[in-house]
Amino acid sequence: MVITGTVTYAVKGRDLLRSQGYKASIERVTAGERIGCGYGILTFGDIEKIREVLERGRVKILEIRKA
Amino acid sequence: MIYFDNAATSFPKPECVISATTRALRENSANPGRSGHKLSVDTAEKIYSARQAVANFFSCSDAENVIFTQNCTHSLNAVIKGFLKKGDHVLTSNLEHNAVMRPLYSLAEKGLITFDTFEASLLSDELTVENFKSKINSKTRLCVCTNASNVTGQVLPVREIGRFCKQQGIAFCIDAAQTAGRGKINIKEDNADFVCIAPHKSLFAPMGIGVLIALAPLDNVLIEGGTGGNSASKFVPEFYPERLESGTVNVPAILGLEAGLKFLKKLNPQKLYENEMSVLKRIYLGLYNNENIELYTPFPKMGKFMPVLPFNFRGVHSEKTSAALNSFGIATRAGLHCAPSAHSVLNTLETGAVRVSVGAFNTPRQADYLVSVINSEKFMKKLQDFH
Repeated sequence: MVITGTVTYAVKGRDLLRSQGYKASIERVTAGERIGCGYGILTFGDIEKIREVLERGRVKILEIRKA
Repeated sequence: MIYFDNAATSFPKPECVISATTRALRENSANPGRSGHKLSVDTAEKIYSARQAVANFFSCSDAENVIFTQNCTHSLNAVIKGFLKKGDHVLTSNLEHNAVMRPLYSLAEKGLITFDTFEASLLSDELTVENFKSKINSKTRLCVCTNASNVTGQVLPVREIGRFCKQQGIAFCIDAAQTAGRGKINIKEDNADFVCIAPHKSLFAPMGIGVLIALAPLDNVLIEGGTGGNSASKFVPEFYPERLESGTVNVPAILGLEAGLKFLKKLNPQKLYENEMSVLKRIYLGLYNNENIELYTPFPKMGKFMPVLPFNFRGVHSEKTSAALNSFGIATRAGLHCAPSAHSVLNTLETGAVRVSVGAFNTPRQADYLVSVINSEKFMKKLQDFH
């Protein structure tokens, strides 16, 4: 789960990942005391590659959680 | 009613915009970016799609730099009050709307900033750029410039001004209220840091929605509150668009805007502009030989003017002329058009001016009717009755 905080980056990130062949969907998340509630992208695959795709697309990542 | 008040807002709105807006009220009235249920996420996706459409239209590479505001005035205030710091100097043209001038006067009155205006030359763009350059000082940090006057329609050389701003490290904000959807605004090629847009004009959107495209950071924000994420933080996010979108956005108007953009692209903005200018030229030529009429601008050339024409009957207040036109079923706008600076240039602060502004749905036949009414004895009599 990639925590983006806002839905704008969640949609952007999901679309970017899907365009690269990843399965990805938007989830509402509770991201703990530090971040609070927000949105994340539920996706599967190599975390570093996923991070690279999102960072290249200038998606703000607050946190990545492993399943 | 023949509507020649398109610089205030475009009318009528295309059927596709009306449909998209009402469909949004029926089908997407969940709050986007707030909840996790299907309807909220679905609405958020539609808002993102509208963001992308706006970004693509103005050649902005990242949709998150498209911020939905209440209106173009809100966008301009967000930039002026968000960007400037104590001691900054600002440059602006002598044709600006109160949406620019009032925030500047207000900040200057409080002793926070200073500002100067530069003259937009009717004779040459080079002279306008030189006038701009001559007013820069060591504290100049921002230039806010209209892309085209809402009173005269005069187009200003924003690309050249933006280029010089970039060289000098001055932030550049374009007020594109009158040009977005007709002029060729390209945020990168225009070297702009901020572009402020009134989508209810030439983008055919409903009223109640504004756009700010922001490529530079804004330290201060006008409105702070819930953004649907990072809720544990005491402050609004550092990043766009949520930084400037506290509170619920206007979903029906945003989806109406996306429909308006599709409509515009289908009709071709350049062709629309050419059609509007040909209607305006017809009006200009029809009024040119009427000795009772004062025209303030040269013959409107493509690229140099937007389809806006100010005029007056000599010795008659603009409000009376506009009211007389209204009695013939013709809608125009009189007065100062919230731009006393521009009227000061025209020397029409006392009388204001009647503004004819042509839109996508105006026809040559309507132009001929307007001209025939204004040039008729019946109209002169009506004006005398109004006296």
